[in-house]
Amino acid sequence: MMKDEYLGVFIDESREAIQRMNEILLDVEKNPENMEAINELFRLLHTLKGMAGTMEFNTMMTLCHRMENVLDEIRNGRMRLTEDIIDKLFKGADILDQMLDRIIDEGTDELIGVDVDGLIGHFESILNKSSMNNKKEKEEEEREKEREKEEKKEESEVIPIEITDELIHVAKEAKERGYRVFYIKVFLKEGAQLKSARIYLVLHKIEDMGGEILRTNPSIEEIEEEKFEWDVDLLIVAKQNSEKLSKALSSVSDIEKVIIREIDPEEIKKQQERKEESDKVEKAVKKSIPQESTSTVSSDYDKQRRKLSQTVRVDIEKLDTLMNLMGELVIARSRIVETLKKYSIKEIDESLAQLSRITLDLQNIVMKIRMVPIAYVFNRFPRMVRDLAKQMNKEVNFIIEGEDTELDRTFVEEIGDPILHLLRNAIDHGIESKEERIAKGKPPVGTIILSARHEGNNVVIEVSDDGRGLDRERIAKRAIERGLIDEARAATLPDEEIFQLIFLPGFSTRDQVTQVSGRGVGMDVVKNVVENLKGSVSIESQKDKGTKVTIRLPLTLAIIQALLVKVNSLVYAIPIASIDSTLKITKDDIQVVQDQEVVVIRREVIPIIKLWETLQIPHDVESESMNVVIVRVGNKKYGVVVDTLIGQDDIVIKSLGKLFRDVKEFSGGAVLGDGSIALILDVTNLTE
Amino acid sequence: MEVNEKDVVREFEALSFSIGDQEMAFDVDYVEQVIDKPEITPVPKSKPMIKGIINLRGRIVPIIDLAGVLESHVDESKYESIVVVKYNDIEAGFLVESVKGVLRASTNEVEGIGSLEKYGDKSKGLIKKGNRLVVYLEVSKIIDEIAEEGL
Repeated sequence: MMKDEYLGVFIDESREAIQRMNEILLDVEKNPENMEAINELFRLLHTLKGMAGTMEFNTMMTLCHRMENVLDEIRNGRMRLTEDIIDKLFKGADILDQMLDRIIDEGTDELIGVDVDGLIGHFESILNKSSMNNKKEKEEEEREKEREKEEKKEESEVIPIEITDELIHVAKEAKERGYRVFYIKVFLKEGAQLKSARIYLVLHKIEDMGGEILRTNPSIEEIEEEKFEWDVDLLIVAKQNSEKLSKALSSVSDIEKVIIREIDPEEIKKQQERKEESDKVEKAVKKSIPQESTSTVSSDYDKQRRKLSQTVRVDIEKLDTLMNLMGELVIARSRIVETLKKYSIKEIDESLAQLSRITLDLQNIVMKIRMVPIAYVFNRFPRMVRDLAKQMNKEVNFIIEGEDTELDRTFVEEIGDPILHLLRNAIDHGIESKEERIAKGKPPVGTIILSARHEGNNVVIEVSDDGRGLDRERIAKRAIERGLIDEARAATLPDEEIFQLIFLPGFSTRDQVTQVSGRGVGMDVVKNVVENLKGSVSIESQKDKGTKVTIRLPLTLAIIQALLVKVNSLVYAIPIASIDSTLKITKDDIQVVQDQEVVVIRREVIPIIKLWETLQIPHDVESESMNVVIVRVGNKKYGVVVDTLIGQDDIVIKSLGKLFRDVKEFSGGAVLGDGSIALILDVTNLTE
Repeated sequence: MEVNEKDVVREFEALSFSIGDQEMAFDVDYVEQVIDKPEITPVPKSKPMIKGIINLRGRIVPIIDLAGVLESHVDESKYESIVVVKYNDIEAGFLVESVKGVLRASTNEVEGIGSLEKYGDKSKGLIKKGNRLVVYLEVSKIIDEIAEEGL
């Protein structure tokens, strides 16, 4: 069904609208007098209502409609915006969001276990309290009159559809079978979304009633591409009378009005010809280039559209395909370069250099396309922080910085939860109650800053608060209780290392388990997610000054820097992010401690892993000197022994696929410049 | 009236190849392409019937030793071609000795499983074409079995 084609657009646009609603609501909560914001909220809901209607999500439409009504009352000054109403509007936004989730999963907006009717009822009762009908009805009447006037004017106009002889013939035949010919002009409400879907519904209605579409202006193709403003002309045949048609078509949402006239095609043609004769010059132009006359209209419109929106929605899959093709191109180029090296043909060097430049540029651009502003993640937090702070009776000034910072779209889905957890911690554990803050001589309202920035090849995300800071003693005490550390060691460790303990699994310092945080899972989950994304997390804190958690992520997951190493004749890649250093050792440097081979480097005891042993591949000769790559896994270091170090390279990570799900030692494969494959070592799993 | 599925005669096409002394075939619907055997990169610690991976136009494709799956023994040096199939988003290559061509057959030329118990549901039966006997393999079952093994 065609409706499905629009579902994606509907969901994307609705999500944006709901997100924007939340932002505005937050703003309105602070400045209830901000009429501009109320107006925007009203418009958003109106749009959303229309879209939901078109997609036939009726509960959603009703909810939007009620919320819209309430806002209408407020913006017309007939009602005051109370805290209760704001809360209910927030609630409404949440429910709308849940409905969207449900629509994605199940294709229906009916929520289970959520009292949508109750909320709708609540809005209705708010509305009933303020009596308003009189005035509104009058307005409605006036509008009606105006409409009629316009319709009359419209009637005398020439129909903007060219009547061909063929059309006349079809119409005649239809008439003989008892059909009537109608000219219909459909006006959409200005600003309506999903325009082509709406027109599609109109056409569908006509066909449902047994009617037939003879001609449309603009053409069906142009309608599908949304190449029209707000009105569409149709020529149809149907058996019903114009009233019935009008009634049926007006029921499609976001239709401003429908003009229906029964016509006689022959008469219309004559009329058109008369008009054409009266201004022959124009006609000459029109006739000679009829095709272009329409295209100029649409290109004008295109220009307008381009001004309105400078972004294009692209299916993520297409981007991935583009990325893959890009990878292939890079590889193909390297192979050409390799091959041509043998012949050293001067003439080709220059064009090859150019090809290299172009592929590099192309690669950069493709990478950039995959990047999205971190605002996509951050946007939902103000609302959440507000709710959490309210729930815990804390006052928080929440500041977001650097939301334009771009990062790979794969991170966007993953990084939200860890950040949310950090924010929860900051509100729950970090920020003190108002009284406590005043007693400490701090400003009564706490501040939480969420920031993002680029730093070299990393994206750095920080969550900092000006709360009470981490309590060294309590962390140490808890760690000892949990057997994570012994007392003697706890006393000697510097603050930073004590703070690191909170990232260990099963650690939670909160004595009471609150709804918000302190469930024993948390910081270790944050750490896990970040490390899975090849990033790192660290924490700084000062008593009564505050806490700052820093997350560092690589710019992208698709391309990483890796050290290529060789065992036997095969090449393996180790991500640079997990490498500490490389060194050469001799056989004598290896000692055995508790059946584990180790080396001592700068007084540090480092277990060593012979790659061929761990991977169980035959390896004959063990030479006197060996290359060791020191890798970091969490707080520990390991030395990975390999045959040779080849060098550093940017590699495109590819999944090995489902058939290798049981192989934990590799996180993927990469195609190298010569077309061969290097397996990428998953250092964490290798050392387990 | 009930119609037995076996009574409905349907034409189908299968790509036939030789492996060991046997002739076998995959349904052409699954087959993407046939390539000469390239350099195969072994993946340590993967399942024994997986020979490794190849770079197929920038994609990484696992290579499966079909004889290993079917528990037959074949001289590995005889492998010349790879039949690349795609099923359920999994792309995989099967090592074969040589590809014979596309076989047209109808379902009434396929004999039931009975005689091929060894292959279980990995085979749909035996295609009889004159005195040619072709093992008609079920690609989906073979891949599913490998994907699920060891999980």
